[in-house]
Amino acid sequence: MSPVVNAVIAAAGLGSRLGHGMPKAMIEVGGQTLLSRMIKTLQPLVPNIYVVIGYREELIIDHCARHHPKVVLVRNPDFRTTNTAQSYAKAGEHLHGKTLFVDGDIIVSPESIRSFLERATGCSLLIGLTEPLSEDAVYARIDATTEGLTVLGFSRSTRSKHEWANLVVGPPNLLEGAEGYVFERLLEHLPSPAGELVMSEVDTQSDLERSIRFVTSL
Amino acid sequence: MRTAFCFDVDGTLTTTEILPCIAAELEIADEMAALTRVTMDGFIPFEASFRLRCAILGQVSPDRVRAIVADVPLGRELLAFIQERPDDCFLVTGNLDIWIEPIVAICGCGFYSSDAEFVDGRLKVKTVLNKADAIHDLRNKRDFDRIVAVGDGANDCSMLAAADVAIAYGGVHTPVPSLIQRAKYIVNEGETLCRLLSTL
Repeated sequence: MSPVVNAVIAAAGLGSRLGHGMPKAMIEVGGQTLLSRMIKTLQPLVPNIYVVIGYREELIIDHCARHHPKVVLVRNPDFRTTNTAQSYAKAGEHLHGKTLFVDGDIIVSPESIRSFLERATGCSLLIGLTEPLSEDAVYARIDATTEGLTVLGFSRSTRSKHEWANLVVGPPNLLEGAEGYVFERLLEHLPSPAGELVMSEVDTQSDLERSIRFVTSL
Repeated sequence: MRTAFCFDVDGTLTTTEILPCIAAELEIADEMAALTRVTMDGFIPFEASFRLRCAILGQVSPDRVRAIVADVPLGRELLAFIQERPDDCFLVTGNLDIWIEPIVAICGCGFYSSDAEFVDGRLKVKTVLNKADAIHDLRNKRDFDRIVAVGDGANDCSMLAAADVAIAYGGVHTPVPSLIQRAKYIVNEGETLCRLLSTL
Protein backbone atom coordinates (compact mmCIF):
# COMPACT_ATOMS: atom_id res chain seq x y z
CA MET A 1 0.00 0.00 0.00
CA SER A 2 1.52 3.32 -0.99
CA PRO A 3 -0.05 6.73 -1.52
CA VAL A 4 0.01 8.80 -4.67
CA VAL A 5 2.80 11.32 -4.09
CA ASN A 6 3.11 13.05 -7.47
CA ALA A 7 0.62 14.61 -9.86
CA VAL A 8 1.68 15.47 -13.40
CA ILE A 9 -0.69 17.81 -15.23
CA ALA A 10 -0.23 17.96 -19.00
CA ALA A 11 -0.64 21.54 -20.24
CA ALA A 12 1.85 21.71 -23.10
CA GLY A 13 -0.36 21.21 -26.14
CA LEU A 14 -1.98 23.59 -28.59
CA GLY A 15 -5.68 24.08 -28.07
CA SER A 16 -6.27 24.21 -31.80
CA ARG A 17 -9.82 22.88 -31.94
CA LEU A 18 -11.06 25.42 -29.49
CA GLY A 19 -9.25 28.25 -31.26
CA HIS A 20 -8.65 30.44 -28.23
CA GLY A 21 -4.95 30.85 -29.08
CA MET A 22 -3.85 29.88 -25.59
CA PRO A 23 -3.24 26.62 -23.76
CA LYS A 24 -6.55 24.94 -22.97
CA ALA A 25 -5.59 24.74 -19.32
CA MET A 26 -5.71 28.54 -19.23
CA ILE A 27 -9.33 28.76 -20.37
CA GLU A 28 -11.54 30.14 -17.61
CA VAL A 29 -14.63 28.29 -16.54
CA GLY A 30 -16.72 29.48 -13.62
CA GLY A 31 -14.24 32.23 -12.75
CA GLN A 32 -11.10 30.09 -12.63
CA THR A 33 -8.69 28.70 -15.18
CA LEU A 34 -8.95 24.95 -15.71
CA LEU A 35 -5.36 24.71 -14.50
CA SER A 36 -5.98 26.58 -11.25
CA ARG A 37 -9.04 24.49 -10.57
CA MET A 38 -7.09 21.27 -11.12
CA ILE A 39 -4.15 22.40 -8.98
CA LYS A 40 -6.44 23.51 -6.15
CA THR A 41 -8.33 20.21 -6.33
CA LEU A 42 -5.13 18.17 -6.18
CA GLN A 43 -3.13 20.23 -3.69
CA PRO A 44 -4.80 18.81 -0.53
CA LEU A 45 -4.48 15.28 -1.91
CA VAL A 46 -1.02 15.01 -3.49
CA PRO A 47 2.22 16.51 -2.07
CA ASN A 48 4.16 17.15 -5.32
CA ILE A 49 2.49 18.79 -8.30
CA TYR A 50 4.19 19.16 -11.70
CA VAL A 51 2.76 21.03 -14.68
CA VAL A 52 4.17 20.25 -18.13
CA ILE A 53 4.26 23.35 -20.32
CA GLY A 54 5.02 24.10 -23.95
CA TYR A 55 2.63 26.10 -26.12
CA ARG A 56 2.65 29.70 -24.87
CA GLU A 57 4.50 28.54 -21.79
CA GLU A 58 5.08 32.10 -20.61
CA LEU A 59 1.36 32.43 -19.83
CA ILE A 60 1.44 29.44 -17.51
CA ILE A 61 4.82 30.34 -15.99
CA ASP A 62 3.49 33.76 -15.07
CA HIS A 63 0.16 32.40 -13.83
CA CYS A 64 1.81 29.81 -11.57
CA ALA A 65 4.41 32.27 -10.25
CA ARG A 66 1.53 34.48 -9.13
CA HIS A 67 -1.05 31.97 -7.97
CA HIS A 68 0.61 28.57 -7.47
CA PRO A 69 4.21 29.10 -6.33
CA LYS A 70 4.51 25.56 -4.99
CA VAL A 71 4.10 23.76 -8.30
CA VAL A 72 7.10 22.69 -10.37
CA LEU A 73 6.92 23.59 -14.06
CA VAL A 74 8.46 21.10 -16.49
CA ARG A 75 9.25 22.46 -19.93
CA ASN A 76 8.54 20.48 -23.05
CA PRO A 77 9.99 22.70 -25.77
CA ASP A 78 9.21 20.03 -28.40
CA PHE A 79 5.47 20.39 -27.81
CA ARG A 80 4.75 20.93 -31.52
CA THR A 81 6.13 17.54 -32.46
CA THR A 82 5.43 15.49 -29.34
CA ASN A 83 2.22 14.33 -27.69
CA THR A 84 0.73 14.04 -24.21
CA ALA A 85 2.39 10.68 -23.52
CA GLN A 86 5.78 12.23 -24.23
CA SER A 87 5.03 15.19 -21.95
CA TYR A 88 4.19 12.69 -19.20
CA ALA A 89 7.43 10.79 -19.86
CA LYS A 90 9.45 14.00 -19.63
CA ALA A 91 7.95 14.89 -16.26
CA GLY A 92 8.18 11.34 -14.94
CA GLU A 93 11.89 11.07 -15.71
CA HIS A 94 13.24 11.90 -12.26
CA LEU A 95 10.23 11.17 -10.09
CA HIS A 96 9.86 8.47 -7.46
CA GLY A 97 6.66 7.07 -6.06
CA LYS A 98 3.16 6.62 -7.34
CA THR A 99 2.18 9.27 -9.87
CA LEU A 100 -1.13 10.59 -11.15
CA PHE A 101 -0.97 11.58 -14.82
CA VAL A 102 -3.84 13.88 -15.78
CA ASP A 103 -4.77 16.15 -18.69
CA GLY A 104 -4.84 19.84 -17.89
CA ASP A 105 -8.03 20.51 -19.83
CA ILE A 106 -10.48 18.57 -17.68
CA ILE A 107 -12.57 19.46 -14.65
CA VAL A 108 -12.93 16.66 -12.14
CA SER A 109 -15.21 16.57 -9.10
CA PRO A 110 -13.14 16.78 -5.90
CA GLU A 111 -15.03 13.91 -4.29
CA SER A 112 -14.51 11.53 -7.19
CA ILE A 113 -10.79 12.29 -7.50
CA ARG A 114 -10.33 11.86 -3.77
CA SER A 115 -11.95 8.41 -3.90
CA PHE A 116 -9.92 7.55 -6.96
CA LEU A 117 -6.65 8.47 -5.28
CA GLU A 118 -7.60 6.56 -2.13
CA ARG A 119 -8.33 3.49 -4.23
CA ALA A 120 -5.02 4.01 -6.06
CA THR A 121 -3.16 3.58 -2.76
CA GLY A 122 -3.81 -0.13 -3.05
CA CYS A 123 -3.05 -0.58 -6.78
CA SER A 124 0.12 -0.29 -8.81
CA LEU A 125 -1.97 0.94 -11.75
CA LEU A 126 -5.43 2.50 -11.66
CA ILE A 127 -7.09 3.63 -14.88
CA GLY A 128 -9.56 6.52 -14.86
CA LEU A 129 -12.91 6.05 -16.57
CA THR A 130 -15.94 8.26 -16.95
CA GLU A 131 -19.32 8.19 -18.63
CA PRO A 132 -18.96 8.68 -22.40
CA LEU A 133 -19.09 12.33 -23.44
CA SER A 134 -16.39 12.94 -26.05
CA GLU A 135 -16.81 13.16 -29.77
CA ASP A 136 -13.95 10.74 -30.33
CA ALA A 137 -14.25 8.68 -27.17
CA VAL A 138 -11.97 5.77 -26.41
CA TYR A 139 -14.41 3.29 -24.91
CA ALA A 140 -13.33 0.79 -22.26
CA ARG A 141 -14.47 -2.80 -22.15
CA ILE A 142 -14.80 -3.67 -18.50
CA ASP A 143 -15.52 -6.38 -16.05
CA ALA A 144 -17.39 -5.38 -12.91
CA THR A 145 -17.14 -7.33 -9.67
CA THR A 146 -17.90 -6.50 -6.06
CA GLU A 147 -14.26 -5.39 -5.66
CA GLY A 148 -14.56 -2.86 -8.46
CA LEU A 149 -14.02 -2.37 -12.16
CA THR A 150 -11.34 -3.97 -14.31
CA VAL A 151 -10.46 -2.72 -17.79
CA LEU A 152 -10.07 -5.56 -20.30
CA GLY A 153 -9.64 -3.54 -23.47
CA PHE A 154 -10.11 -0.21 -25.27
CA SER A 155 -11.93 0.49 -28.53
CA ARG A 156 -12.94 3.56 -30.50
CA SER A 157 -15.67 1.67 -32.32
CA THR A 158 -17.32 -0.64 -29.79
CA ARG A 159 -19.32 1.62 -27.53
CA SER A 160 -19.67 0.95 -23.83
CA LYS A 161 -20.81 2.70 -20.68
CA HIS A 162 -17.29 3.81 -19.85
CA GLU A 163 -14.85 6.12 -21.62
CA TRP A 164 -11.11 6.48 -20.93
CA ALA A 165 -10.90 9.59 -18.79
CA ASN A 166 -7.34 10.73 -19.67
CA LEU A 167 -6.31 10.20 -16.08
CA VAL A 168 -4.25 7.33 -14.67
CA VAL A 169 -2.19 6.49 -11.59
CA GLY A 170 0.93 4.42 -12.06
CA PRO A 171 4.71 4.32 -11.66
CA PRO A 172 6.61 7.45 -12.74
CA ASN A 173 8.07 5.67 -15.77
CA LEU A 174 4.64 4.50 -17.00
CA LEU A 175 4.93 6.48 -20.24
CA GLU A 176 8.67 6.12 -20.76
CA GLY A 177 9.42 5.66 -24.45
CA ALA A 178 5.74 5.92 -25.42
CA GLU A 179 5.16 7.39 -28.86
CA GLY A 180 1.44 7.04 -29.38
CA TYR A 181 -1.61 7.76 -27.30
CA VAL A 182 -1.53 7.24 -23.55
CA PHE A 183 -4.23 4.57 -23.74
CA GLU A 184 -2.11 2.61 -26.25
CA ARG A 185 0.60 2.29 -23.60
CA LEU A 186 -2.03 1.16 -21.10
CA LEU A 187 -2.97 -1.73 -23.44
CA GLU A 188 0.30 -3.37 -22.43
CA HIS A 189 -0.83 -3.41 -18.80
CA LEU A 190 -4.33 -4.83 -19.20
CA PRO A 191 -6.29 -6.20 -17.48
CA SER A 192 -6.05 -3.44 -14.91
CA PRO A 193 -8.17 -2.04 -12.09
CA ALA A 194 -10.12 1.10 -12.94
CA GLY A 195 -11.93 3.81 -11.04
CA GLU A 196 -14.75 6.11 -12.08
CA LEU A 197 -14.50 9.88 -12.15
CA VAL A 198 -17.18 12.52 -12.37
CA MET A 199 -15.73 15.03 -14.78
CA SER A 200 -16.05 17.24 -17.80
CA GLU A 201 -13.45 17.85 -20.48
CA VAL A 202 -12.90 20.94 -22.62
CA ASP A 203 -11.96 19.95 -26.16
CA THR A 204 -14.60 21.67 -28.30
CA GLN A 205 -16.92 24.64 -28.03
CA SER A 206 -19.84 22.44 -26.93
CA ASP A 207 -17.55 20.82 -24.31
CA LEU A 208 -16.87 24.31 -22.99
CA GLU A 209 -20.55 25.11 -22.71
CA ARG A 210 -21.23 21.81 -20.98
CA SER A 211 -18.30 22.39 -18.62
CA ILE A 212 -19.65 25.74 -17.55
CA ARG A 213 -22.88 24.01 -16.51
CA PHE A 214 -20.89 21.15 -14.91
CA VAL A 215 -18.93 23.54 -12.72
CA THR A 216 -22.06 25.00 -11.21
CA SER A 217 -23.04 21.51 -10.10
CA LEU A 218 -19.84 20.93 -8.11
CA MET B 1 26.04 8.14 -9.35
CA ARG B 2 27.60 11.29 -7.91
CA THR B 3 25.53 14.39 -8.39
CA ALA B 4 26.84 17.92 -7.92
CA PHE B 5 24.39 20.72 -7.13
CA CYS B 6 25.46 24.15 -8.37
CA PHE B 7 23.76 27.30 -7.15
CA ASP B 8 23.95 30.86 -8.33
CA VAL B 9 24.31 33.18 -5.32
CA ASP B 10 22.63 36.54 -6.04
CA GLY B 11 18.87 36.11 -6.23
CA THR B 12 19.02 32.33 -5.87
CA LEU B 13 20.70 31.61 -2.55
CA THR B 14 20.38 35.19 -1.32
CA THR B 15 16.92 36.68 -1.08
CA THR B 16 18.18 40.11 -2.05
CA GLU B 17 20.94 41.07 -4.49
CA ILE B 18 24.34 41.78 -2.97
CA LEU B 19 25.69 44.62 -5.11
CA PRO B 20 22.82 47.03 -4.30
CA CYS B 21 23.53 46.50 -0.59
CA ILE B 22 27.13 47.54 -1.14
CA ALA B 23 26.07 50.44 -3.39
CA ALA B 24 23.83 51.73 -0.59
CA GLU B 25 26.99 52.18 1.50
CA LEU B 26 28.21 54.72 -1.04
CA GLU B 27 24.75 56.22 -1.40
CA ILE B 28 24.73 55.41 -5.10
CA ALA B 29 22.07 52.70 -5.01
CA ASP B 30 19.99 54.32 -7.78
CA GLU B 31 22.95 54.78 -10.10
CA MET B 32 24.04 51.19 -9.50
CA ALA B 33 20.49 49.98 -10.20
CA ALA B 34 20.49 51.87 -13.51
CA LEU B 35 23.77 50.26 -14.51
CA THR B 36 22.49 46.82 -13.50
CA ARG B 37 19.28 47.26 -15.45
CA VAL B 38 21.13 48.27 -18.59
CA THR B 39 23.30 45.16 -18.18
CA MET B 40 20.35 42.82 -17.64
CA ASP B 41 18.73 44.25 -20.78
CA GLY B 42 21.85 43.29 -22.65
CA PHE B 43 23.12 46.75 -23.65
CA ILE B 44 26.48 46.24 -21.94
CA PRO B 45 28.23 42.84 -21.95
CA PHE B 46 28.23 41.25 -18.51
CA GLU B 47 32.00 41.24 -18.04
CA ALA B 48 32.48 44.92 -18.91
CA SER B 49 29.59 45.91 -16.69
CA PHE B 50 30.84 43.80 -13.83
CA ARG B 51 34.35 45.28 -13.98
CA LEU B 52 32.80 48.76 -14.04
CA ARG B 53 30.62 48.02 -11.03
CA CYS B 54 33.61 46.63 -9.15
CA ALA B 55 35.66 49.72 -10.00
CA ILE B 56 32.93 51.84 -8.42
CA LEU B 57 32.25 49.61 -5.41
CA GLY B 58 35.95 48.98 -4.89
CA GLN B 59 36.02 52.24 -2.99
CA VAL B 60 34.49 50.41 -0.05
CA SER B 61 37.02 48.46 1.99
CA PRO B 62 36.75 44.65 1.66
CA ASP B 63 36.24 44.30 5.42
CA ARG B 64 33.24 46.62 5.26
CA VAL B 65 31.90 44.76 2.20
CA ARG B 66 32.27 41.41 3.94
CA ALA B 67 30.40 42.76 6.96
CA ILE B 68 27.55 43.82 4.67
CA VAL B 69 27.59 40.48 2.85
CA ALA B 70 27.48 38.58 6.15
CA ASP B 71 24.09 40.21 6.79
CA VAL B 72 22.54 39.46 3.39
CA PRO B 73 19.61 37.10 4.04
CA LEU B 74 19.86 33.58 2.63
CA GLY B 75 16.98 31.27 1.65
CA ARG B 76 16.40 29.11 4.71
CA GLU B 77 15.49 25.85 3.00
CA LEU B 78 18.23 26.13 0.39
CA LEU B 79 20.85 26.87 3.04
CA ALA B 80 19.75 23.80 5.02
CA PHE B 81 19.92 21.67 1.85
CA ILE B 82 23.50 22.81 1.21
CA GLN B 83 24.60 22.36 4.81
CA GLU B 84 23.26 18.79 4.77
CA ARG B 85 25.50 17.79 1.84
CA PRO B 86 28.34 20.33 1.59
CA ASP B 87 30.63 18.03 -0.39
CA ASP B 88 28.10 17.83 -3.22
CA CYS B 89 27.15 21.50 -3.36
CA PHE B 90 28.90 24.38 -5.07
CA LEU B 91 28.18 28.09 -5.17
CA VAL B 92 28.82 29.39 -8.68
CA THR B 93 28.90 33.16 -8.72
CA GLY B 94 30.22 35.94 -10.91
CA ASN B 95 30.69 37.88 -7.69
CA LEU B 96 34.14 38.35 -6.15
CA ASP B 97 35.81 35.81 -3.89
CA ILE B 98 36.97 38.47 -1.45
CA TRP B 99 33.41 39.74 -1.07
CA ILE B 100 31.36 36.55 -0.84
CA GLU B 101 33.67 34.81 1.62
CA PRO B 102 31.18 35.12 4.55
CA ILE B 103 28.45 33.34 2.56
CA VAL B 104 30.81 30.55 1.54
CA ALA B 105 31.77 30.15 5.20
CA ILE B 106 28.13 29.87 6.30
CA CYS B 107 27.40 27.30 3.58
CA GLY B 108 30.51 25.25 4.18
CA CYS B 109 30.54 24.06 0.58
CA GLY B 110 32.77 24.53 -2.45
CA PHE B 111 32.60 27.53 -4.73
CA TYR B 112 33.57 29.04 -8.06
CA SER B 113 33.72 32.82 -8.33
CA SER B 114 35.39 35.77 -9.98
CA ASP B 115 38.55 36.82 -8.23
CA ALA B 116 40.09 40.05 -7.17
CA GLU B 117 42.74 41.44 -4.91
CA PHE B 118 42.75 44.58 -2.84
CA VAL B 119 46.21 46.13 -3.00
CA ASP B 120 47.26 49.59 -1.80
CA GLY B 121 43.66 50.55 -1.19
CA ARG B 122 42.51 49.64 -4.69
CA LEU B 123 40.43 46.77 -5.91
CA LYS B 124 41.75 44.90 -8.94
CA VAL B 125 39.53 42.32 -10.59
CA LYS B 126 41.72 39.50 -11.91
CA THR B 127 39.30 37.12 -13.61
CA VAL B 128 35.55 37.21 -14.20
CA LEU B 129 34.07 33.73 -13.97
CA ASN B 130 32.43 32.12 -16.98
CA LYS B 131 29.98 29.88 -15.18
CA ALA B 132 30.14 27.14 -17.83
CA ASP B 133 33.81 26.66 -16.89
CA ALA B 134 32.70 25.70 -13.38
CA ILE B 135 30.46 22.97 -14.79
CA HIS B 136 33.23 21.62 -17.01
CA ASP B 137 35.62 21.58 -14.09
CA LEU B 138 33.20 19.60 -11.96
CA ARG B 139 32.59 17.11 -14.74
CA ASN B 140 36.19 16.61 -15.83
CA LYS B 141 38.32 17.19 -12.77
CA ARG B 142 36.09 16.43 -9.84
CA ASP B 143 34.53 13.22 -11.03
CA PHE B 144 30.85 14.05 -10.75
CA ASP B 145 28.60 12.01 -13.05
CA ARG B 146 25.71 14.40 -13.09
CA ILE B 147 25.49 18.14 -12.59
CA VAL B 148 22.37 19.99 -11.48
CA ALA B 149 22.41 23.79 -11.88
CA VAL B 150 20.07 26.37 -10.37
CA GLY B 151 20.05 30.03 -11.38
CA ASP B 152 17.93 33.06 -12.14
CA GLY B 153 19.87 35.58 -14.22
CA ALA B 154 21.26 36.01 -17.72
CA ASN B 155 24.79 35.10 -16.64
CA ASP B 156 23.47 31.70 -15.52
CA CYS B 157 22.57 30.76 -19.11
CA SER B 158 25.92 29.15 -19.88
CA MET B 159 25.83 27.25 -16.59
CA LEU B 160 22.34 25.83 -17.20
CA ALA B 161 23.22 24.98 -20.81
CA ALA B 162 26.29 23.00 -19.67
CA ALA B 163 24.54 21.18 -16.81
CA ASP B 164 22.67 17.86 -17.01
CA VAL B 165 19.62 19.13 -15.16
CA ALA B 166 18.81 22.83 -15.51
CA ILE B 167 16.54 24.63 -13.09
CA ALA B 168 15.42 28.25 -13.38
CA TYR B 169 14.56 29.67 -9.97
CA GLY B 170 11.97 32.39 -9.59
CA GLY B 171 11.83 32.60 -5.80
CA VAL B 172 13.41 36.04 -5.64
CA HIS B 173 12.66 37.52 -9.05
CA THR B 174 11.33 36.26 -12.36
CA PRO B 175 13.96 34.30 -14.27
CA VAL B 176 15.01 36.03 -17.49
CA PRO B 177 13.47 34.57 -20.71
CA SER B 178 16.83 33.47 -22.13
CA LEU B 179 17.41 31.44 -18.98
CA ILE B 180 13.95 29.88 -19.05
CA GLN B 181 14.68 28.63 -22.56
CA ARG B 182 17.62 26.64 -21.19
CA ALA B 183 15.74 25.22 -18.20
CA LYS B 184 14.01 21.88 -17.83
CA TYR B 185 12.36 22.88 -14.56
CA ILE B 186 11.06 26.21 -13.29
CA VAL B 187 10.54 26.52 -9.55
CA ASN B 188 9.25 29.59 -7.76
CA GLU B 189 9.66 28.77 -4.11
CA GLY B 190 12.47 27.60 -1.80
CA GLU B 191 10.86 24.61 -0.12
CA THR B 192 9.59 23.30 -3.46
CA LEU B 193 13.07 23.71 -4.96
CA CYS B 194 14.62 21.63 -2.19
CA ARG B 195 11.99 18.93 -2.56
CA LEU B 196 12.74 18.75 -6.28
CA LEU B 197 16.49 18.62 -5.67
CA SER B 198 16.02 15.79 -3.16
CA THR B 199 14.00 13.87 -5.74
CA LEU B 200 16.53 14.16 -8.55
